[in-house]
Amino acid sequence: MKAVTYAVLLLAMVGFAFGVYRIAGMLKSDGSHVQKPTSTYAQALPGKMFVAQGGAIYRFQNGTFTQLTEDAGWTQPSSSPDGTQLVAVQRHLNYSDVYLLTASGRVVQQLTHLQSSSVEGNHWAFLPRFSADGTRIFFAYDDKAPGTYEVDLTILSVPAGGSGRDLVWTVPNQYTGGDTDPVPLRDGGLVYTKYSIDDQSAVHSQVWLTTRPGAPGTPLTKPEEDCAQPALSPDGTSIAMVCRHGQLQSTELVLATFDAVNGTIGPEAVLIQGQLSASPTFSPDGQTIAFLAPVQQGGTFQLWSVPADTSPSPSAARPITQNVGLDSTAAPVWDKR
Amino acid sequence: MSEFSARGQRLLDGRHALPLPRPTRIIVGFLLAGLIGLTAYFLPLFQSASTPIVTSGGELINPVSGPTDPFTVLLLGSDDDSKFAGDQFNTQSMILVRVDPISKQATMMSIPRDLWTPIEGQRYMGKISTAYQAGGVQATIATVEQNFHVRIDDYIWIGLAGLIKVIDSLGGVNLVVTNPVMDDFYPADINTSSPYGYYRVALLPGPVHLDGVHALQYVRSRHGDLRGDFARSERQQQLLLAMKAQSKHINLADFPDIAGALNGEVKTSISLERARQLYSVLDKFDSDHIKRILLGPPYTSEGWAGDQSVVYPNWGQILPLVSQYFPQ
Repeated sequence: MKAVTYAVLLLAMVGFAFGVYRIAGMLKSDGSHVQKPTSTYAQALPGKMFVAQGGAIYRFQNGTFTQLTEDAGWTQPSSSPDGTQLVAVQRHLNYSDVYLLTASGRVVQQLTHLQSSSVEGNHWAFLPRFSADGTRIFFAYDDKAPGTYEVDLTILSVPAGGSGRDLVWTVPNQYTGGDTDPVPLRDGGLVYTKYSIDDQSAVHSQVWLTTRPGAPGTPLTKPEEDCAQPALSPDGTSIAMVCRHGQLQSTELVLATFDAVNGTIGPEAVLIQGQLSASPTFSPDGQTIAFLAPVQQGGTFQLWSVPADTSPSPSAARPITQNVGLDSTAAPVWDKR
Repeated sequence: MSEFSARGQRLLDGRHALPLPRPTRIIVGFLLAGLIGLTAYFLPLFQSASTPIVTSGGELINPVSGPTDPFTVLLLGSDDDSKFAGDQFNTQSMILVRVDPISKQATMMSIPRDLWTPIEGQRYMGKISTAYQAGGVQATIATVEQNFHVRIDDYIWIGLAGLIKVIDSLGGVNLVVTNPVMDDFYPADINTSSPYGYYRVALLPGPVHLDGVHALQYVRSRHGDLRGDFARSERQQQLLLAMKAQSKHINLADFPDIAGALNGEVKTSISLERARQLYSVLDKFDSDHIKRILLGPPYTSEGWAGDQSVVYPNWGQILPLVSQYFPQ
């Protein structure tokens, strides 16, 4: 009887030692601890949303996430104007391709074929978006100069499944990394981000507007504002973007009015300051902006929402997720259906 | 002798100490078990403390007299893959950091790796990045001290895998990628037996959370940027700021992971105690009070020395700058 008691006590002590070890491990800072979205619940938002995490695309609806694709390099989804299809990027080690998918994540068609047998013969395609009429796909493509180190992204558009010509929309500044973030306009123009390097070797990003393929385009923001990642409201009258003003560790989420006809934006209102806000997108009614930012400093990127309100005392932004670690270069897609 | 006095005598003799009551023994047992659990958890930290990573060679490094004295640290980063034999590395990254604990000001100055200078202990001019290959860390420090007229108090050297491990042990870093980082010839030289291969890198711009591998790509890529090595230097300084910001969130429970990551991957003259002091000093620093210096034009100009593409120093411009921000 005594031996059994000692054995039980010994086992309990071993268990206690193991428990202390585990508890010490649980006290580690968990700012970058990431969970699979499907194992979490979040505050519900109206409509549905598509986001990317860890090489997979997820649908977020009624507070729960549904995985639509395998964990296989999928990112940067964007939905068709009628909401029935998605366009997204599948990224591999040396190249990426743009695919057309159903809204439930099934591949319909591979739109680009950018793989090559030689490393430098491969190409990248990123950040695809449907045109407003759904007939073309815009994306950033590395139109390289052979025999050089130059790899600059340019904005290209291709037919969305049908026949037709590929169109080169922008001419990037050389050796800057190029042009990104295509946002096709309803009138056929294009808003995008252009990068430049000034005489002092400082890098700047500006939001630009161009009216047709190959046209020179005009800047909508100043170089010193360092604005990028533009998003347009559904009615096309407001623009949201992130601006870093020379900062390297923080950005501002900025909202302004947008006049596509005259190529101007109105006074800028800062919605979020001192955070690392990224990849804004408007809600279907244009009243709310979803964006990605860490909840705690140093943490991974989570889904947030903030009213698209420029009044002096706007409502505060609120985090929707806590620990899902979303791909911050893939702007959330927000559909009403 | 009475019974009590006999028992008292045994106690005094210490030969037959009274056994602890059973509940106390059980509690002590659990306390010991807990201590064993904690010891096991912090074992990597103890191992790293008992295996000094100090490789300075003793008297080389200037001692800093007090915790409030300003000090200068030379940060060195090397490609240390299997292309290089033993400790025969080039220092691809050289950053001088001066910290003033009183004024809470810090300065980071990146030294171009291709800077054409006299190399300590050699009779020839060479790229400053080759000083380490010529004479190890001592020659590197002496070369920087003599050319820049600066006093170096400590150094930290880290290799490729070390940087990846350190960043991963911090849980990654957050920063803003300022422009697309595109490189078709990024070296595939980590965890491979054929280190001469390459692959393509594309880091998209904007705020990102980078793990160790991608952070290394960010600070190592240079082919697709107009500014070449200067762009890389700027990104290296940015990564240091991001690592400093990330270190604010670590706690005691994170130390074993970090110690495990550092063990064998980092060489430094800084003892663990000194590192602890440094951490507490740097923790109070605001990144806005850290001045960042890149030695682009007019401090340097690009040119050729024979068939080598080099960066020529303009000492008339550099030395007053160094004197201002790195006073001896």
